[in-house]
Amino acid sequence: MPVLEASGVRKQFGGVVALAGAQFALETGEVHALIGSNGCGKSTLCKIIAGSVAADAGSLLLDGRPVSFAGPRQAAAAGIGVFYQELSVIREMTVAENIYLGREPRNRVGMLDREALEAAVAAALSQFGEVLGAGVHPRTRVGDLSADQSQLVEILKVLAANPRIIIFDEATAALDRNQVTVVFQRIRTLKAEGRSVIFITHRMDEVFEIADRVTVMRNGATVFTCALAQTTRDALVGAMVGGAVVRAGRERRHVPSEAIALEVENLTSAKLAGVSFRLRRGEIVGLGGLHGQGQSELLRALFGATPLRSGAVRVGGETLDPRGPRAVMRRSIAYVSGDRGRYGVMAIRPIFENLVISLLARDRRWTVARQRLEGEISPFIERLKLKFSSLRAAVSELSGGNQQKVVLGRWLATRPSVLLLDDPTKGIDIQTKEDLYATMDELCSQGVAILLHSSDDEELLAVADRVLVFNGGQVMGELSGEQRTRFALYQAAYASKHPA
Amino acid sequence: MAAVVFLVLCTVNAVLQPTFLRFGVAASNVAAFLPMALVAVGQTYVVLASDIDLSAGAIVSLVNVVVVSIIDGMGGSGTSMALGLAAGLTLGLTCGVVNGLCVAYLRFQPIVTTFATGIVFAGFALWVLPEAGRQVPPALYLTYAGSVLGVPTVVWILAAAIAFAAIVARTRFYQALRATGGNMQAAYQTGVPVARVRLGAYTISGLFAALAAFALVGETASGDPLIGGALTLSSVTAVVLGGTALRGCVGGVTGSILGAFILGLISNVIFFAQLPFEWQGLIQGLIILTALAGGVVMARGRQD
Repeated sequence: MPVLEASGVRKQFGGVVALAGAQFALETGEVHALIGSNGCGKSTLCKIIAGSVAADAGSLLLDGRPVSFAGPRQAAAAGIGVFYQELSVIREMTVAENIYLGREPRNRVGMLDREALEAAVAAALSQFGEVLGAGVHPRTRVGDLSADQSQLVEILKVLAANPRIIIFDEATAALDRNQVTVVFQRIRTLKAEGRSVIFITHRMDEVFEIADRVTVMRNGATVFTCALAQTTRDALVGAMVGGAVVRAGRERRHVPSEAIALEVENLTSAKLAGVSFRLRRGEIVGLGGLHGQGQSELLRALFGATPLRSGAVRVGGETLDPRGPRAVMRRSIAYVSGDRGRYGVMAIRPIFENLVISLLARDRRWTVARQRLEGEISPFIERLKLKFSSLRAAVSELSGGNQQKVVLGRWLATRPSVLLLDDPTKGIDIQTKEDLYATMDELCSQGVAILLHSSDDEELLAVADRVLVFNGGQVMGELSGEQRTRFALYQAAYASKHPA
Repeated sequence: MAAVVFLVLCTVNAVLQPTFLRFGVAASNVAAFLPMALVAVGQTYVVLASDIDLSAGAIVSLVNVVVVSIIDGMGGSGTSMALGLAAGLTLGLTCGVVNGLCVAYLRFQPIVTTFATGIVFAGFALWVLPEAGRQVPPALYLTYAGSVLGVPTVVWILAAAIAFAAIVARTRFYQALRATGGNMQAAYQTGVPVARVRLGAYTISGLFAALAAFALVGETASGDPLIGGALTLSSVTAVVLGGTALRGCVGGVTGSILGAFILGLISNVIFFAQLPFEWQGLIQGLIILTALAGGVVMARGRQD
């Protein structure tokens, strides 16, 4: 009998189906890898098992008995521990306080026993020995630790609860090879103790190294489960991407020129680990891979919205210091986010204001000359086929697609030479998407260079001339021409190795 | 930081007011600063959870007039005093629970919610006692102004508050409170009962508001429906001066008590320096701003 069994699990967020009948069984004492492409539903399935998301339908059996958790607290009480990808440590609290949060040792009168706490944590830390690196003590503030050290503390925190079932969601993402070896040793010990592990990773090497069985998910459903000994990497990648092929090639009018529009060298930041590439004029370069591997961070860093640690950026051959969006946009670089609510529209303000705000921010003028500005934006209103009742109407009256056209229009009005598009078609209708693709094509034939991140893999492969595949803040591969397939994309997305 | 400012102010005060360090004067200073210190202690717990209680001062007013009305209305007997104080305590706790339920369980926005409940509590206070007045029997205010075992009552109360804080700081609740303030989502995922913890913090704030109201009854021997009004923001100021971050998690009660004493000493210094009354607000604001800026500069220095 499996220790944990989920069947027919369904979950919908708004209109989006995240899980459409997932089947999953975890045996006692096994390490079970869970893999799949973006949006396949693996995180949602884990959150349901962890009790932080409630399923719409389906059953969850623990030791053969049906359970339904009202929250993470109950799941934890049932012996389920979760390593959260985004970490659940409190930065302002110490290592010791974090590891035993909620289960601090107490003395006879019920007061915290700090000595016992710190002794227990010191013992736990010593498990990791040298790979923990310098400066990790029970009293160190977690906020003062490096990314890999925080991950190791999160692992210790999960294990301190003594769980029977452990979900590791990207628990090795920031670790180096030696740290992974130690963590894997620990996981093998857990296995030998009869504990069961669900292991999520974006590294195929790890799947074959640590897991006994693997379940592949696609489009909210589990595709198949098998023992690792009976499968191959290519078979797993094939199962992840399914039979889908790249949509019929779009008609392209643009031909990239040889002139370099944007050159990026060894860019590092909190989430980028040495990114280098060149973007030519009239070229669309896509940023792909699993979600959150640094694609958005790169675009936001290039636009000066998040700080860089080191690296060089050159626009048209001249050095650019991306200190802030205002400085960057004056070098004719524009940024459009698909997160319209947060980074795009000013919802209650008129369409006119939303269209001219970039011009106003760029130009050093004291007054708003309405007629001049209307003249400057009107060609773009036509070009984007923007439909509205009046320029004075609030932008929130428009559909999502038209709102996105307004955001794009405001940037086109600044006549950029480089356009940074961060998932620009998120949540907009097909017709508007086609309009946007056509606009991008047209811009490229005029020599504009486009850097495109998209959460829609098909779109990325169809629209971009080249695709850079990201993994852990690095470019792991480049796909061009006939290589632009989902298979190649996921082969590269899962291919990375840990730094030594 | 707060300790440095506190010592500087004590020195300045001692220079301006030679009797400052005398036992009686020191005790009367403690008595004068005690209500704000108590409200600040309660506020600290709420702020540690990254919430805020803008109704604390109104709770003080409400409890103050209710306690005085009950005691005076029942003739000032021993029973009436016990009953009045018990009612006041219950009322303070209830107000805290109302705040906590609205914020933690109904998920209302803390600033707006407690601002609104504060108006309600203040409204009740005016309804109970429209004008300052009524009296409590001498037994009550003489005990408050007197000594027990040679130590002034007010010092005992302050010591009790510090002891309470010391005990709470060694509980799982306190760790859960800081975790909630540090990162609510992470705390929830870890299994911390976030809603219960926030409710607990607001309840403690209500409790200490009630205690502050008792101190004011002892100090003024009468009721005043507007007495607590200024305590809300000065308690928040005391908490921040004492090093507790408004974003939660970092800080503690000791700092807040120091912060309250700093605010009190600033008024003292201005008074004994014989500065014109009109300057008080200006000087007080500048000193607070300087103290806050000093804290920020030091925090930045640590990060680099």
